[in-house]
Amino acid sequence: MHLPRLDPITRKRFQRFRRIRHGYWSLIILAVLTLLSLFAEYLANDRAILVRYNGRFYWPTWRFIPMETFGQEDEWGFSDAETDYLALRDSWRAAGADNWLIMPPIPWDPFENDFWYTEQRGEFPPNPPDFARGHYLGTDSQGRDVAARLLYGFRISMLFALALVLAGQALGTVIGSLQGYLGGVFDISSQRFIEIWSSLPTLYIIIIMATFFTPSFWMLLGIMVLFEWIHITYFMRTEMYREKAREYCLAARSYGASHARIIFRHLLPNCLTPLVTFTPFAMVGAIFALTSLDFLGYGLPPPTPSWGELLDQSLQVENRGKLWMVLSPFAALTITLILVTFVGEAVREAFDPKQYARYE
Amino acid sequence: MNRFLLGCLAAWLIPTSLALAQPAPTADGATTAPLAPPPGEIPWVTNLDDPPIGSLEAIKGGTFNTFMYDYPLTFRLMGPNSNDAFAAWNRAYTMSFTLLQRHPVTDNYIPWMASHWAVMPDNRTVYYKLRPEARWTDGEPVTADDYVFAWEMMGSEAIVDPFYNEYVATYFESVEALDDLTLKVVGKQPSWRPLDDYALFPMPRHAIDLGPDWVQRANNTFQVAAGPYRVTEAITGKHVVFDKVPGWWGADLDYFRGLYNVDRIVVHVIPDGRELDYFKQQQIDMTLVASARIWAEETDFPAIQNGWAHKKRVFVDTPQGIYGLHMNLQFPLFANKDFRKAMQYLFDFDTLNKNLMYDAYFRIASAFEGTPYANPELKPYPFDPRKAREHLVKAGFTQRGPDGILVDDQGRRASFTVIFGGETIERHLTVLREIYKRAGVEMNLQLMDGATAFNRGLERKYEMTLTGRTAGFYPEPKQYFHSTFVESTNNNNIWGFGSPETDQLIETYMFDMDLQHRLDAMHRLDAIVHDEAFYIPFWTAPYLRLLYWDYVVWPEGDVEQIGRAHV
Repeated sequence: MHLPRLDPITRKRFQRFRRIRHGYWSLIILAVLTLLSLFAEYLANDRAILVRYNGRFYWPTWRFIPMETFGQEDEWGFSDAETDYLALRDSWRAAGADNWLIMPPIPWDPFENDFWYTEQRGEFPPNPPDFARGHYLGTDSQGRDVAARLLYGFRISMLFALALVLAGQALGTVIGSLQGYLGGVFDISSQRFIEIWSSLPTLYIIIIMATFFTPSFWMLLGIMVLFEWIHITYFMRTEMYREKAREYCLAARSYGASHARIIFRHLLPNCLTPLVTFTPFAMVGAIFALTSLDFLGYGLPPPTPSWGELLDQSLQVENRGKLWMVLSPFAALTITLILVTFVGEAVREAFDPKQYARYE
Repeated sequence: MNRFLLGCLAAWLIPTSLALAQPAPTADGATTAPLAPPPGEIPWVTNLDDPPIGSLEAIKGGTFNTFMYDYPLTFRLMGPNSNDAFAAWNRAYTMSFTLLQRHPVTDNYIPWMASHWAVMPDNRTVYYKLRPEARWTDGEPVTADDYVFAWEMMGSEAIVDPFYNEYVATYFESVEALDDLTLKVVGKQPSWRPLDDYALFPMPRHAIDLGPDWVQRANNTFQVAAGPYRVTEAITGKHVVFDKVPGWWGADLDYFRGLYNVDRIVVHVIPDGRELDYFKQQQIDMTLVASARIWAEETDFPAIQNGWAHKKRVFVDTPQGIYGLHMNLQFPLFANKDFRKAMQYLFDFDTLNKNLMYDAYFRIASAFEGTPYANPELKPYPFDPRKAREHLVKAGFTQRGPDGILVDDQGRRASFTVIFGGETIERHLTVLREIYKRAGVEMNLQLMDGATAFNRGLERKYEMTLTGRTAGFYPEPKQYFHSTFVESTNNNNIWGFGSPETDQLIETYMFDMDLQHRLDAMHRLDAIVHDEAFYIPFWTAPYLRLLYWDYVVWPEGDVEQIGRAHV
């Protein structure tokens, strides 16, 4: 692969990363999964992807289309309720009509309760996997599709973790760099503040705050960023301390470069190693923290699809023995965390300057 | 383990209810001077004719293992933290032995700590004749002065307990020891249930030193008690042991016979929700199964099939508290009665019951369910989306917005937020949410910490909220439905409801000495509350689901009626 405009060291690191197969493939798998989950509405939804009705095409994925559009009426006698696409498909198939529609691979919304099993067979939710009805991983204790909830839960976890880590690392880098570069009173006072701040128990604080108001996605993100930045400052600070005493920094200063130019142009690129190597592990921490909070019931408000909530459901006494409920979120969590860890390991190894150890 | 007969369920459950009935807020009425018959001429009454509560064939001895989820924070029965699950055991078996009890089957008053009683015609002066046999666990006799002390103690600042302070202040005028065994209690005002309102349990004056630091000192002290058991061992985080008081004074007295057969009660601390596991391992001898699903699917384990353990549903008819989804009448959407009715008609109880609760529950219709004051003609609102739609249209919500949620002419969306405090009910609400959504009403859910959610209700800072209130023996309509509480917050009138008509009905219930008047007033009140539709009543199971090992035996004819006839 041609890598333009990269300095030789970075290029070498990248090649080294590619050579570590499990890390490289983990990154690709993760990227593909994350990309796919961005289009979850086309993968798991109770709205059809495409409807062909009386010579016209409809794209209902992002739109509320009332039943009357397709001449459907529900058992309550409403015609302006949301179209029931599965029922529509079945009725068209039965009638052999020219109209058709394409459902997503998982024809269920993460919020929809499917009580068909109770009504037809007297089997109470959670119901085991059933391919005929499109519940590939079964349903949860409210008859909601586990696969759909896993998928949407994955998207929320990944986006949350990415946003958290990006914001946290950016903030931590700025503060850590300033500490190291400026030194003196700012360094001493901010270090004392960090010591105090880092001794606050993050999860407990979030739990306490969550008792007063239910945190939304952004609010939870904001609270967690407040604690996320601390760790990276230690490393950025020491890197800066070291680098700013180097000759190239002195040279830049003697040329009259501004502080900003010295920090961003000269120092930061040389301090990136800890940032890059710690980021994947911070991701692991972030995913895990969100799952734990949801598990404890203090995370995102119900009925947000989430792995933690699914785990919590499956561990309740009432749902003991419903293996699909435990295994799905457990497997999803384990696989994701392993993939991210592999990436992190490979990155760390690729950035490790000690490539060849010589033992004497 | 020895075989033994357990007294009976009623004896297990009832003693707690009398002692702690929530005091009704009362107004000072004009009262006549209390009559004072000369000593020796008090018209004593007693009741020894009711059937025994316990079985006389019960085998004595053995250990009964039961459970609680949390190790108690204190052994006190007054003051901070003194109202947990352990306190219920402590009350029932050691400390709060009240003057009288209600018979669990016949509902008649029966002698308990007092052998006789007398109600004066003013309906606020009550005399009690104490049992001369009664002894504290340290051997001292229980005297009338100990009841006077209990009254002083409940009103004392030293116990740091506003509930008892308030209770004493609203109910008791004076408590007086005429002699060692004669007690005179004067209530604040005439009552049609003086024996319930003006009853006490004793506290040992000789053993309690009420000082400013009593709360701390008494925290971990095992008390001197009058009941048949006392705490003899407590290991933090593991268990608390009640041992039978050797040669307990009441063992052979009338209604105590056949009760308290076990020598030792061990209350184990077990993790929340794990009682079935502990029961299967025989670490606890009896448990209640709260979940219909577990009852249906997991209680056919080998011990049950072999007949070594039993499952039984015991039907009880107890007063039900107000429990459901409440609408804040000050929230603009719910200020509209049609909108409220639409909410009622959209509440699809059958779907919830059939799919999430094993069809095991019944809907509550009345605010006073389980008491004779419940209006027998009330039916719960059925699930009827068409009717709901009619009411929504009447409330102005005619069109669906682009997201399928109804909007009115001013562009207001039919959307509100439900605050709730318990994860167990979350799945019911998420199902309801989908049903409401289909009908064009958006219901947002907000799970909070239980105490916070409860307080948001009290402060009326909510749109819709899910809470429940327990019911005492008698309905307490004033604290819920009286208009005096509309202006203020932090009271049980969480909806902000009240009207002159209902106020009048409540006054009738509280002060009218004629039963029929009270019944009529309450039935009318019940119908008005139902019609105003400001809360969606939930459900109840009229029975307890019991699991017990074979050596726990019940007396003939299970107790089926607790509470129905309390007029």
